[in-house]
Amino acid sequence: MESPETLQAKLKKANEALSEQKEALYQTRDYLENVLENSRNIIFRADSDGVLVSFSKGGESALGYTQDDLSGRKMKDLAEDPHDFENLAVQCSEKKETVRGEISFRHKTGHIVYCRVILSPLTNTGGEVIGMAGVCRDITAWKKFREDLIRVDRLAEVGRIASGIVHELNNPVAVIGEISGWVGSVASDAEGLNEEDREEIKTSVRHIGEQTQRCRNITGQLLGFVRESKLATSSLDAHELLRGTVNLLTPELKFTDVEIVYNFMEGPVFINSDKQLLEQVFVNFISNAVYAVKEKGGKRGRITLETFLDDSGDSPMVEINISDTGVGISRKDQKSIYEYFYTTKPPGKGTGLGLPISRNIIENLGGSLSLQSEPGEGTTFTVRLPVS
Amino acid sequence: MSEKSDIRVLLVDDEETLVEYLSKRLLREGYTVKATFSGEEATEVASDDDFDVAVVDLKMPGMDGVETQKRLKKIQPFLQCIVLTGHGTIDTALESGKEEAFKYLLKPIEYDNLLETINEAYEHKVQLQNARFKDEVEEIYRSGLGARGIKKAMNKLRKIYGIS
Repeated sequence: MESPETLQAKLKKANEALSEQKEALYQTRDYLENVLENSRNIIFRADSDGVLVSFSKGGESALGYTQDDLSGRKMKDLAEDPHDFENLAVQCSEKKETVRGEISFRHKTGHIVYCRVILSPLTNTGGEVIGMAGVCRDITAWKKFREDLIRVDRLAEVGRIASGIVHELNNPVAVIGEISGWVGSVASDAEGLNEEDREEIKTSVRHIGEQTQRCRNITGQLLGFVRESKLATSSLDAHELLRGTVNLLTPELKFTDVEIVYNFMEGPVFINSDKQLLEQVFVNFISNAVYAVKEKGGKRGRITLETFLDDSGDSPMVEINISDTGVGISRKDQKSIYEYFYTTKPPGKGTGLGLPISRNIIENLGGSLSLQSEPGEGTTFTVRLPVS
Repeated sequence: MSEKSDIRVLLVDDEETLVEYLSKRLLREGYTVKATFSGEEATEVASDDDFDVAVVDLKMPGMDGVETQKRLKKIQPFLQCIVLTGHGTIDTALESGKEEAFKYLLKPIEYDNLLETINEAYEHKVQLQNARFKDEVEEIYRSGLGARGIKKAMNKLRKIYGIS
């Protein structure tokens, strides 16, 4: 029998140890709460049936749900395909170890959120699995970035291949052009050829010439695209550039009942950009506008060129609107309009390269391109470029 | 404007079919044409015959257009060269083009444009040559040679300038 003094001392010691442990536990809990509160990851705990017990703040903002939305729901039901999640969870509880995987979840508003998921089994002191803890990191942005990189890489590859093919094709096309020219001149003064046949040959030769010209347009545009990697920037007045571009198109505009309206802000707007490339871009937009107006037919069409200064962002931008009163672009076509070789024009009229190349050029120049169109009413393309 | 048959054109391009048809067309137009398929062949031909205008492709295996042009000019200083360049190579052409080509034309060439350029190049050559010839003739007269000496010197000049 120990003396009361010794007992008391022991009790005191036990008490001290307990409060030390309590303090340690308190600190751990505080730490974990802070992690849960501040982490941008989706951190959750589920019971052995997979029903959510807790769900972190980061999870709420990543997937758009509140705690209330989720009470009584299973984690797997938030996944795009519940089976994917279920498989991972079964692996975790059967192996009794931490497992990793990639699962796509569905945000409350419907879009997909790609996550890298780590699941760990939670056990009681007896070693039984009583649930699991999970950490999911949103990798949507990273995934998109990686896809963009792949796309850019693929485009560069396409560019290299295209440039090779185009160079190889240019020579035979030139030869065909020369030969057709030769046949034409032989036919024009060949003796013993009746006039009907002579005309027939001359027309056919002219057609061959037109078709070789068409090939040249395609190869020329493709090379323009490949060449764009090298920018030659200088300080330009956007207004002067636009007026100059319209002048370039005067021959085309002469035969169209279309009025060009300038709605420019006052004074010059200086941009640091590549004049030749931008000219290519605006020639493309204005010719498209002319085409759309012609397509619609009817009374006098109008193409409006407007400029605004937007200094709401970090760096001021000039916004250039090219609006037409033409046929407009259907919703379906609006989706595909920037795809290479996509065109609604009849064969021989469009190459399906103008818009994707223009967009590429604008983006390379640090700008952006958007469009607004009402079928039957008209289209506005908006080019935004950084002001110098 | 001179008669086309006066204009002697030297074509230099490794694309043989193109040269073949181009020369046929030019011949039919009335030009005097010699077709060659490499820079080496062109310089050889130019050592024997006089030309007014050379149309030279920039990109050729072996001796390239710039080098060909340089050598042709050395052989016949008044010869005007029209250099054909592919897309994207015009910068290199201009950089290395200190040999002063009369003009650079972007391939694929347009026939009518080529004709016009050949004629312009010819006019340019004739002007240069006449100016120089006049200077030299004046020089001979100033030199105080006798009638026989002048005749001899003139014949020599005629030979140099390809005037028969």
